Amino acid sequence: MLRNYLKIAWRNLKKHKLYALINMIGLGAGLGFALLIGAYVWTELQVNQQLKNPKQQYLIRSVWKNANQGFELATAGPLAKELYVNYPNLVASYYRYDGVTSNVCMGDKCFRESLQIGDSTFINMYGFKLSEGDAATALNQPYTAVITASTAEKYFGKNPALGKILSVENFSGGKHDFLITGVLEDAGYNSVSRLIDDYPTSIFVSDKNLQFFGRNMDWSNPFIVNYIELKPGVSPKDLDGPIRQQISQNAHPFIAANMKTELMPLSELHLQANKGLIRKMLYALSAIAVFILFMAAINFVNMSVSRASTRMREIGVRKVAGGRRWQLIMQFMTESVVITTFSMIMALVVYMLVKDLAESILGRDLPALTSFPLHFAAYIPLGILVIGLLAGIYPALVLSSLPSVEALKGKLQSVKENKWLRRGLVGFQFATAVIVFVGALVIASQVRFFFGNNLGYDKEYVISAQVPRDWTTAGVNKMEHVRRQLTALPQVQSVSLSYEVPDGNNSGSISVYRAGSDSTQAITSVVLNTDEYFAPTYSIPMAAGNFYQEGAVTDSTRMVINATQARALGWTNAEEAIGARLRIAGDPVIYTVAGVTRDFHFGSMQQAIQPISFIHVSRGLIFRFLSIRLKPGQTSQAIADLQRQWTALMPGTAFEYKFMDDTLRKLYKTELQLKQASQLATGLSILIVLLGVLGLVSLSIQRRTREVGIRKVLGASVSSIVLLFIKEFAGIMWIAVLLACPVAWWLMNGWLNDYTYRIALSAKPFLMAFAALGGITMLLIVVQTIRTGLSNPVKAIRT
Amino acid sequence: MLELKHIYKWVNTGNNRTFLLKDINLTINEGEFVSIMGPSGSGKSTLLNIIGMLDGFNEGEYNFMHESVHQLKEKQRSSLYKQYIGFVFQAYHLIDELTVYENIETPLLYQDIKSSERKAMVADILDRFQIVGKKDLFPTQLSGGQQQLVGIARALIARPKLLLADEPTGNLNSKQGEEIMELFSTLNKEGMTIIQVTHSEKNADYGSRVIHLLDGMIEKK
Repeated sequence: MLRNYLKIAWRNLKKHKLYALINMIGLGAGLGFALLIGAYVWTELQVNQQLKNPKQQYLIRSVWKNANQGFELATAGPLAKELYVNYPNLVASYYRYDGVTSNVCMGDKCFRESLQIGDSTFINMYGFKLSEGDAATALNQPYTAVITASTAEKYFGKNPALGKILSVENFSGGKHDFLITGVLEDAGYNSVSRLIDDYPTSIFVSDKNLQFFGRNMDWSNPFIVNYIELKPGVSPKDLDGPIRQQISQNAHPFIAANMKTELMPLSELHLQANKGLIRKMLYALSAIAVFILFMAAINFVNMSVSRASTRMREIGVRKVAGGRRWQLIMQFMTESVVITTFSMIMALVVYMLVKDLAESILGRDLPALTSFPLHFAAYIPLGILVIGLLAGIYPALVLSSLPSVEALKGKLQSVKENKWLRRGLVGFQFATAVIVFVGALVIASQVRFFFGNNLGYDKEYVISAQVPRDWTTAGVNKMEHVRRQLTALPQVQSVSLSYEVPDGNNSGSISVYRAGSDSTQAITSVVLNTDEYFAPTYSIPMAAGNFYQEGAVTDSTRMVINATQARALGWTNAEEAIGARLRIAGDPVIYTVAGVTRDFHFGSMQQAIQPISFIHVSRGLIFRFLSIRLKPGQTSQAIADLQRQWTALMPGTAFEYKFMDDTLRKLYKTELQLKQASQLATGLSILIVLLGVLGLVSLSIQRRTREVGIRKVLGASVSSIVLLFIKEFAGIMWIAVLLACPVAWWLMNGWLNDYTYRIALSAKPFLMAFAALGGITMLLIVVQTIRTGLSNPVKAIRT
Repeated sequence: MLELKHIYKWVNTGNNRTFLLKDINLTINEGEFVSIMGPSGSGKSTLLNIIGMLDGFNEGEYNFMHESVHQLKEKQRSSLYKQYIGFVFQAYHLIDELTVYENIETPLLYQDIKSSERKAMVADILDRFQIVGKKDLFPTQLSGGQQQLVGIARALIARPKLLLADEPTGNLNSKQGEEIMELFSTLNKEGMTIIQVTHSEKNADYGSRVIHLLDGMIEKK
C-alpha cells in the first residue's frame, strides 16, 4: 500500500511540476534557514561544554557600584587562590590570569598576540589536552609557553613546535625568549581561552613570568580574571561569606567599598555574557527561523487546499472504488512527506552553500554537515516526518472530506472551501514579511546613524595601528620620534600617540573633582591617555580653550575635558572651565583645565556620552596606538609609504593598521550582524510570500478560467481582469499591513530604546516596506494574469 | 445589419490545412431571426463566434453596422460588440460567485454605466423576466431553465441590437426549452435580431430563416 502511495505521490509531483517546485523551493529555503539557525544555536549551547566540569566551575564576576570603576569579568588578583588555600573543603581548584597583548616574534616573523599570564593549574583544571608536550609540567617554569594549535601553525607551519623558541616583548622595551613546552589541542569555543570574543588567547605562560612583564596579581589589582572550581555538593552561596571576608580583610579599601562579586557557572557564562545579549540573540533568531518555517508550511497548506477542485475527480473515483477516508488521508500525507523529503535535501544543499555567508553574518564558525554528532543524522528523517505531517494534516483532512462522489456524478462543480482560513494564512505571511522588512529597514538606518556624521569627530581617512609597548618616559620619547617621522611623510596630515582610539575601550576611569571642593563630590570620568595631536588627528572640535596647549606640550599637568564633564563639574559654559584646577582622587597633583572639547562618541551610541578626561601620555606613560590622518586621495600609496617608514623606524614590529570604519565595525559588531541577519530574513520571507502568491494566483487563474472567459465575453477589459485577481489579494494585504505596522513599531521602538542615541521612528520604513512588498506582489500578479486577460475567451468557455 | 463575404477560417495541423469555414457568404438584416443548423463539427459555433467577434478569421470581409470588422483594431472591435451584441450560451455560463442580480449587472459594470441607472435597468429586466424573487440567489440554487433565463436577461441588459445564442436550450428539458424559444420569439417581434445555433428542427422553426452548414460550408439558403 505504501508503495502505491509513494508511486501516486511521485506521479502527482511530476504532473504538477510548478506546484511541486514552488512547494519545494519555499520549504527548502525555510528549512535551510532553520538548519543554519539551529546549527548556530547548537554551537552556542556547546560553548564550554567540552570543559572538564563546567557545572562546578565558576568565573568570579565583579559588580561595581559604578560600571566605570572596574571590569565586570575580572576581580581582585589573589581572590581565587586565597579561597583555595583557606577553604580546601569548599574549593577544588582555581585558575587566575592576567590578559595582555604583546608583540611576539619568531625570527623576523612578528605578530601581536593575546597572552594569558596565569596559574599553572590551567591545563588540568579544564581537561585541556596537549598534542605536544607534557601537561603536568608544561607551565611550571618561567620563560616557557604553551601555544594553541593554530598559533603553532602560524609560526611553524606543519613542523612540530615543541622545543622551539618564540621571542616575547614586555612593556618596558625588553624581549625574552620563551621555550615552547606544549601545544594545546583545539578545545572548541570556551570561556577560558576565549573569555572575550574579540581576544582569543593564543599563548599561555606561567605566573612566574609576571615580573618579566612588569605585572602583578596583588589585592590592589582588580583586573585579574579569577576562576574557581567548587567541590561536589558545594553551591555558590556557600562561598558568599568567605569571599566577603577575604575582600574586606585584604583588598584595597576602594575595591572593598565598591566591588561585590558573583559566581557565574561556566555552563551559563557564555549565554549570560553582555547582559544576556547572546541569549536574546538566540531567542530572536530561533523565533525568526520558526516563523519562516511556518510561512513556508503555510504555502504548502494553501496550495494543497487550493488544488482541491482539480483533484475532486480523483478523490471521487478513489472513494467509489472503496477507499476509506483514512486511506485517503494517508495518501495525502505521504505526498506531503515526499515533498518535505525533497525540500530537506534541498535544505541540506542550501546549508552547505550558504554556510560561509552565514558564518560571516553570525560571526561564528558553523559546523560542517559531517562534523555534527552522528546521532543528529536521525533527526533529519524525524524532522521530515514531523514537518511533512504537520504541513500535510490540514490539507489531507480537507481533501478527504470533500463531497467528491457528487463531483463524480457531475453535480458539484466547485469546492466550497474555507476561504477565510486561507486568506488569514496569506495575511499572516504578509504581516510577517512586513514586520521583518520594516525591522530590516529600521536596523539599517540606525546602523547608518552609527556611521554617520554625528560621531562628533571625522572618521574618514583615519587609520590606527598598534605600537610596541615601552611604557617609560624613554618609550614615550621614542614614540614621539616615530610620530614626527611619520608626520613628515607627504601624504600624512597628522599623527597622534594614544592609549585609546574611539572604540569604547579605555584604560580605566578616575574620580575627578574641583580642587578646593570635597573629594566626595567627585565624578567618575573616563580617562583617555593621548598626546596633544589627538584632537587635530580625529578632528574633534574644541568648545573652548586648546587641546592641552598650543604647540608642543611641556606641562603634563594640563588636562582636557569634554563638554559633558564640564557640565558634570558644574560649568554651564565651557569657557568658564578654562584655567580651572582639578584633582584626581588618590593623586596629589593639581591639574589645570586647558581646553574643553565638544562632545563626541568615544564608545557605542548605546550609552550616553560619559565625562572624559584627557591626560597627556607623558604623564600616564601608557600607549597603544598611533592614529594617522591621511590627506585625501592616494590612500594606497600613503599606506605603502607608511609601511616602509614604520618598518625602518621599528624593525620587528608589524604594521597592522585599521581604518576607523573597521574599528567602528567591531564596536557595532552585534548590530551589523543583526542588520545582515534581518536582511537575509527579509529576502527569505519575501521569497516565500512571493512563492505563495505565485502558487495561489496560478491556481486562482486555473479555477477562474471560465469566469474570466464569461467576463471577457460580457465586455471586460484586460485591466479589469487583472484587477479581479489583484483584488483577491489587495484586501488581505491591507489588513495584514494594518495589523503588522503596530507590531513592527512596538518591536522596533523597543529595540531602538536600548540606544541613548537613536533615530526617530518615522513612517518612511513602513511606507517603503509596504510599497516594495505590495509593488512586487502586484507586479507578480499582473505578470501572471495578463496572459489570461489577453487570451481568447472562446477557448475558456467552450462546453 | 451584417454581411459576411468570402469568409475562410482554417487551422494548420502539420502540413495539412483543415478548413473550419469555407467561403461563407451571408447577409443578415435587422429584425431577422436566423437559425444555424448542421451536424457536430460543421462549424456552427465557429461561425457564431466570428459573427460575435469573439473569434477571428483568416480571409474575407465582415461588415457589421456599416463598419468593416476585419479592419478594426481589437479595442474598437470590443467596443462595437459591447454596444451591439449579447450572448446566450448552452451552459449558461453564469458566474457562480455572483448572485443573479450581480450576474445581470456585470455587463453594465464593464460599460461604465452609473450606479443609479444600473439599478433601474436590472430592476426593469428582473421584473420583465419575473425573476425578481430570485435576485439574491446564487446560480447553483436555480434550475437549468431559470439559469438560462438569467443568462438571457444578462445578454439583454445592455440593450443590444443582435442576440447570439449557442444552443440555448441544449441543457434544458423540452418544457423549459419551449419557454425560452417563446421568449426569443417575443423578443424578435419587439425588433431584436437573433441568430441561434441549434440542433433541433423544432427550435429552428421559431426563426424566420434557417442556414444549414456542412463541413464549414453553407449548404442551402
